[in-house]
Amino acid sequence: MSRRILVLMLLFSATLIVSFTATIILNPATPSELKELAKYYVLNTINETASPEAVTAIVWDYRGLDTIYETLVLYLAIVGGLAIFKMSEEALLKTRIGLTLLTKTSTKIIALLITSIAAAIAFHGHLSPGGGFPGGSAVAVASMIIIPVFAAGTLIEKGISSTKLVAIRGAALTALGLVALLPVVRGLEIVTNQKFYPASILGLPISGSLSLYNLLESLAVASGFTAVALYLSIPEEAYKGGSSA
Amino acid sequence: MLEALTYILIIAILGLNALVSIYGIIYGRSLVKKLISLTILSDTVLVAVIFAGFYYAYPIVPPVYQDLAGTGREFLVKHASDPLPQALVLTGIVIGLAVNALIAFGIIQAYRLAKTTDARKVVETLSGVEVTE
Repeated sequence: MSRRILVLMLLFSATLIVSFTATIILNPATPSELKELAKYYVLNTINETASPEAVTAIVWDYRGLDTIYETLVLYLAIVGGLAIFKMSEEALLKTRIGLTLLTKTSTKIIALLITSIAAAIAFHGHLSPGGGFPGGSAVAVASMIIIPVFAAGTLIEKGISSTKLVAIRGAALTALGLVALLPVVRGLEIVTNQKFYPASILGLPISGSLSLYNLLESLAVASGFTAVALYLSIPEEAYKGGSSA
Repeated sequence: MLEALTYILIIAILGLNALVSIYGIIYGRSLVKKLISLTILSDTVLVAVIFAGFYYAYPIVPPVYQDLAGTGREFLVKHASDPLPQALVLTGIVIGLAVNALIAFGIIQAYRLAKTTDARKVVETLSGVEVTE
């Protein structure tokens, strides 16, 4: 047995022993009810944000400004990655074959299923668990299946390039910023929800701006991660004798 | 007694997890292994944030109302899971994913320039300075 595994097992048993003795000596009181802040959120989410889902209400209403800046961090990380990875798409066009017909057909069905579930997650985010981030990540999973099966070159030939994807992402983020900024026109605070946006349109509950945010955020996350996956799928042979060094 | 034991045990195992992943970040040779340790550390922190909203109740339900009229308010306050850590973790996961992708881009670039992911050899190749143990 190597020394590393022995040390790990010793650490684990020490953790167990320490926690047992700490329980016997201290016998701490465990929390048995919600914290006051969480109680406030759970009680007031329907009245104040028109959303029955407390998590989405916190993400896009109570702490909406936080989330918008986090979206900006996400955007900068992806743009930074693509900038490091500066790469002509001619290298990608060399990979055009993909996997067999059987795999391609089954992937089409599976990707359709994943995308429809992702749409349900994203568009019902203000009514049931889910929202823009998980929905967009699920779409990104579908594209991560599609890229190796159909080969990145084929997708670029069909007109899906990472430049276009980043452009979609930028447009979605701009729209998101506009949704956040619009209440300022009427002298309200930035990221205002219920005082400016209606709770429902034609009997459809949209929870004010929450469903708009979810829609745009899912679009932004999906296109951003698809662009990243497209760049990461470049095979190593494409660089041999390339312009890297 | 059993409740207190599980409570302390979860805290201790999270601490151990953080310790091992920090060890991996510092002593791992390969940059890829360092990245894997970093993701384990960030996941440990996220579990700790979720654990901050933990309390004993049965049954536990999601903090979601069944209708728009807001029925079952009293039940939800006694049985809903804490929504605030969930909201923080929801965004934290996506930000972590983007930052990890950025680091992965950097590692691939370093691999292309130095033809290795060993952290010391990457430094030696790129800067020309000898790295001593």
